[in-house]
Amino acid sequence: MKSKLLLALLTVAVAGSAVAQVKPEDAIKYRQSGYAFMGWNMGRIKANVEGQYNKDEVIKAANAIQAIANSGMGALYLPGTDKGKGWEETRAKPEIWTDKEKMGKVATDFVREANEMAKVAATGDAAAVKMQLGKLGGTCKGCHDDFKVKK
Amino acid sequence: MNSKRIRLWDLPTRLFHWLLVLAMLGAVVSGQLGGNLIDRHAVIGLFILGLLVFRLVWGVLGSTYARFAQFFPTPGRIRAYLKGEWQGEGHNPLGALSVLALLGLLTVQALTGLFSNDDIAFVGPLFDLVSKDLSNRLTGIHHLIADGLIILVVLHIAAIAFYVRFKKKNLVKPMLTGWQEGEGKSATGGGPVSFVIAVLIAGAAVYGASGVWLPEPPPPPPAAETPSW
Repeated sequence: MKSKLLLALLTVAVAGSAVAQVKPEDAIKYRQSGYAFMGWNMGRIKANVEGQYNKDEVIKAANAIQAIANSGMGALYLPGTDKGKGWEETRAKPEIWTDKEKMGKVATDFVREANEMAKVAATGDAAAVKMQLGKLGGTCKGCHDDFKVKK
Repeated sequence: MNSKRIRLWDLPTRLFHWLLVLAMLGAVVSGQLGGNLIDRHAVIGLFILGLLVFRLVWGVLGSTYARFAQFFPTPGRIRAYLKGEWQGEGHNPLGALSVLALLGLLTVQALTGLFSNDDIAFVGPLFDLVSKDLSNRLTGIHHLIADGLIILVVLHIAAIAFYVRFKKKNLVKPMLTGWQEGEGKSATGGGPVSFVIAVLIAGAAVYGASGVWLPEPPPPPPAAETPSW
């Protein structure tokens, strides 16, 4: 019994230590970097559906967005980091921490559409990619509207 | 015979008004929904800009009641109106305030939209002319004004309802037919030449705002020169 308890405690300790401690300033930087990098890739997909379509380019971009979307960025939203400076002043609204239910929903929507984007990109169907880009962009907006400070 | 009526709103003014109604509806819906509609939103915005420039020119070259000088709400006119002493046709001094506020806000709205971005995949047609930081600020203003405009439109409609209910005056009908029942002077001026001039100036403004004249970005280096990783 005692050894089981010890094992459980040990497991918790080990699991806990697997989460690297991130400084608030760095957390904000990682967040901003993630969104900026996804922005580059959104722009790439858009350029491809509007101009010459290059299947490989779109796959690379869609996979990049999918990877970041599934990276568990939520871990970077440390308590208190609605204020602070990363590369620039954060534009995260306090509602991210208070309206957890809605925030969870917009985040889940985004991950779902990012996964779908990667799937659609793999088909090389430009029209379908364009449609999905609109859906994915809509989920970005869903969060920007309510959880991002407008300057 | 009691069939006195006057020519109040000329056809271009009425067309402007109702096209603006449709375009604003389209802009609000496409702006709220976002997604791929954001590109449609930009086109509608350019169209609204054209309508606005047309109206500004028409406010000088148009027929009597469309002219700014005719209805400009000077303090004297507003005082007279509030005392119930104002006499005239067309925009009354308070209505004129609302008209100018709408035109002014809409103009700022259209202009800020040109430089905006949504941090997703959309940028306004003149985004390249400003820094990202300034674009962010203009985008913020664009969002704020959207709310202000909706409030003004609600006021506008409420005023029309007030006139129908309490002053027994239908303001919508003249905006549809151009005619207003009753005594007064019919509008004059605003002929075809003025119309063509106003349309040409509006067209030039839309061309300028569309950014198609901006130099093409330098072509990307050939694929062979970018590393494949």
